[in-house]
Amino acid sequence: MLRTDEILSTIHMLHAEHLDVRSVTLALSLEDCAGSNIDHFCRKVRHKIVSRASRLVEVCDRVGAKYGIPVINKRLAISPAASLLAGHGVAGAVRFAQTLDAAVDECGVDFLGGFTALVQKGITAGDDVVIRALPEVLAATQRVCASVNVASRRAGINMDAVGEMGRVLLQIAEATADARGFGCAKLVVFANIPEDNPFMAGAYVGSGEPEAAVNIGVSGPGVVSSALKRRLAEGDSLTLGDLAEEIKITSFRVTRVGELIGREVAKELGVPFGIVDLSLAPTPTVGDSVGEILKMLGIERIGAPGSTAAVAMLNDAVKKGGMFASSSVGGLSGAFIPVSEDAALADAVGRGHLVLEKLEAMTSVCSVGLDMIAVPGDTPAETLSAIIADEMAIGVINDKTTAVRLVPVPGAKAGEVVDFGGLFGAMPVMEVRNAGASREFVRFGGRIPAPIQSLKN
Amino acid sequence: MSGFKNAYVLNVMSSDHPGIVAAVTGAVESLGGNLDACSQTVLGGYFTLIIIVSLPEPLEPERLADRVREAGAPNSEFQVMVRRARHESELPKQESCERFVITAFGRDRPGVVRSFSQYLAAKDINIVDLYGDLRGDDFVLIGQVEVPVHWDVRMMQDDLEQMGSELGFTVKLQHENIFVATNQLRLSATFPSPFGRGEVS
Repeated sequence: MLRTDEILSTIHMLHAEHLDVRSVTLALSLEDCAGSNIDHFCRKVRHKIVSRASRLVEVCDRVGAKYGIPVINKRLAISPAASLLAGHGVAGAVRFAQTLDAAVDECGVDFLGGFTALVQKGITAGDDVVIRALPEVLAATQRVCASVNVASRRAGINMDAVGEMGRVLLQIAEATADARGFGCAKLVVFANIPEDNPFMAGAYVGSGEPEAAVNIGVSGPGVVSSALKRRLAEGDSLTLGDLAEEIKITSFRVTRVGELIGREVAKELGVPFGIVDLSLAPTPTVGDSVGEILKMLGIERIGAPGSTAAVAMLNDAVKKGGMFASSSVGGLSGAFIPVSEDAALADAVGRGHLVLEKLEAMTSVCSVGLDMIAVPGDTPAETLSAIIADEMAIGVINDKTTAVRLVPVPGAKAGEVVDFGGLFGAMPVMEVRNAGASREFVRFGGRIPAPIQSLKN
Repeated sequence: MSGFKNAYVLNVMSSDHPGIVAAVTGAVESLGGNLDACSQTVLGGYFTLIIIVSLPEPLEPERLADRVREAGAPNSEFQVMVRRARHESELPKQESCERFVITAFGRDRPGVVRSFSQYLAAKDINIVDLYGDLRGDDFVLIGQVEVPVHWDVRMMQDDLEQMGSELGFTVKLQHENIFVATNQLRLSATFPSPFGRGEVS
C-alpha cells in the first residue's frame, strides 16, 4: 500500500510543479522503403509512417491521462535520409521531404527528425543530395527537421563539410528570409550525434537501432527550479552540495515518470522501449528555464563568472539522479541551453550579460552546444563555419556530443529582437565578434585528425 | 490464510495507549491461537485494530471477544467485535481491477467524502484505503481504489473533476504506478523487471 506522504509529494510535483513528459518520439526505420523509383519510394514512406504512427498521439494522450501526466510533444525519427536518397537528385529529396511532411501532418505529430547526413569522415552521394537539398527542403516543409554530423571522436572534424555547412546555413536563411531565417532553426550540425536522441531538431534513427522504438524526453527545467525554490525556502544554511542533492532527487523522479510512460506507450504500440533522455529542455514559458536554475544557484547575471561551474553541477546532478532511476538512459542527456527557447537566457543576451564566447564555454560542460542562437544575417559563411568548428572541437576532444543551431537572420543586426514563434521563442540577435577573421582557417578545408585519447589535459 | 482451521476476524477499538496489541495478542495466545494478519490505525487519540486469528479448536465468537475484553480490563475498556472469517474460496470472485489513487483538495464542507464515495460505489469501485485530513480550512482526501478494467478512466476523470469543481475541490484520479515510480526503488507495482520485453500490466 502506498504511504500518504508519498502520494502527497508526488501530487505536489505533478500539479504544483507542472511535471510533464516533454517528448515521446517514435523512432522508425525507413530502410525497407528505399527504391530507385521516386513515386514508389514516396508511396511506401507515406504508407509506413501512417500505418505505424497514426496511433501515436492517441496512445500518448490515453497513457498520459491514466497517470495524470501530459505528454507535450509526439514526434517521429527516421533513418538518415542520406541512406535512402543515393541515386535521387535534389528534386527527389524535396519530394521525399514533402511526403514526410504530409504523412506527419496526417498522424497529428509535431515534428519529424532524420533528414540527416553523417559526413564526419567524408561525403557520399546520398549525403551530398541531402546537404544540397537542405535550403529547399527546410523552406518547403513545416515539420521536417534536419541534422548533419560533421565530426566524431574517431574521425576528427571534416572541415570540408564544416565549410559547406557555413554556406548552406546562409542559403537556408535566404530561402526562409520571410520567416527571418527560421529554416535554420530546423537544422542541427553535430559532433558525435547520438543514435537514439528523442529531441528535435537532431532526432534520427542510428544504424544500430531497432526497426522501431519509443524514446522519451523527460520534463523540463521548470520542475527542477520549483524543487530548488521549495528547498531554498525551507533551509537557511544550504550548500551547493545540498542543492545538487535536491536536483538529483528531482531528476530521479522525473526520469521515472518518463520511463513509466515510455514503456507503456511502447507496449501499446507493439514496439520496444528504447531510452529515456535525461536532458532538461527549456521552453520559452517563464519559469521553464535552465537560466532560472542558474539564478537560483546564485548566478545573479547569467554569463557571469561561475556560470560554467553552475551548469556543470546542474548537468551532473541531473545525470546522477536519472542514471539511478533508469537502466535505459541515452540520447543527449544533459542540460540544454538553447538561447531563444529559454526566456532567462534570451533576457541575459538582451542585457549584455551573456555573450557567444561564454555560451561556448558553458557548452563544454553541458548539452548540447550553441543552440538556437540568432546572429546577424551578414555574418560571413566562413565565420559561421568557424563557430561550428570550435563547437565540434569541444565535442571531439571531450568525447561528448556537441551541436550548433545558428540562425543568421537576413537583414538583422546585433541587438535586434527576432521572434521565431511558439516553442522556438524570441531573442536579440547576438553579436559575432571578429567576424571574417577565420576565413583562411576554414578555407584550408580537409580534416582535423581524430584526437589522442591519452594525456588528457 | 490461516494457521488453524478456525479463523476469526477481530475488531478492537480503544483509547490509545501503550500495551493494547500486547494485551490482545496475549488473549489470543492463551487460547492456543495464532495471529494470521493485522492492521492498526490511530486517529484522533483513538486506536483501532483489525486482526485475523485462528484457533486450534472452534469457539463461539462471543467467547473469544470476552477473553480479549478481559485482557484489556485492568487498564482500559476495549470495544471488541468478533465474527467467523470466511475462507478465501468462499469470498465473492472479484472482477479484474487496476489500482488507482483519487486525491481531492479544497475548502472543507460537509458531504465531500459522501459525494465521491457514492460515485465510486455506483461504479462498483472498491475503496481499499482512505485518508482524510483537515489542514486549517482545507480538506485533503486520498483514496486508494480498485477500478474494474472495463471502465474508461478518462470518462471517470472527467466525472470526478466535474463533481470536484461543483464542490470547490481539485480532484485527480491517477494510476498507482505513478506514485510507486516516483517514490520507491522499483519502477512500478506491476513491472517484474525493467529488462522485461516491455510488459506492462
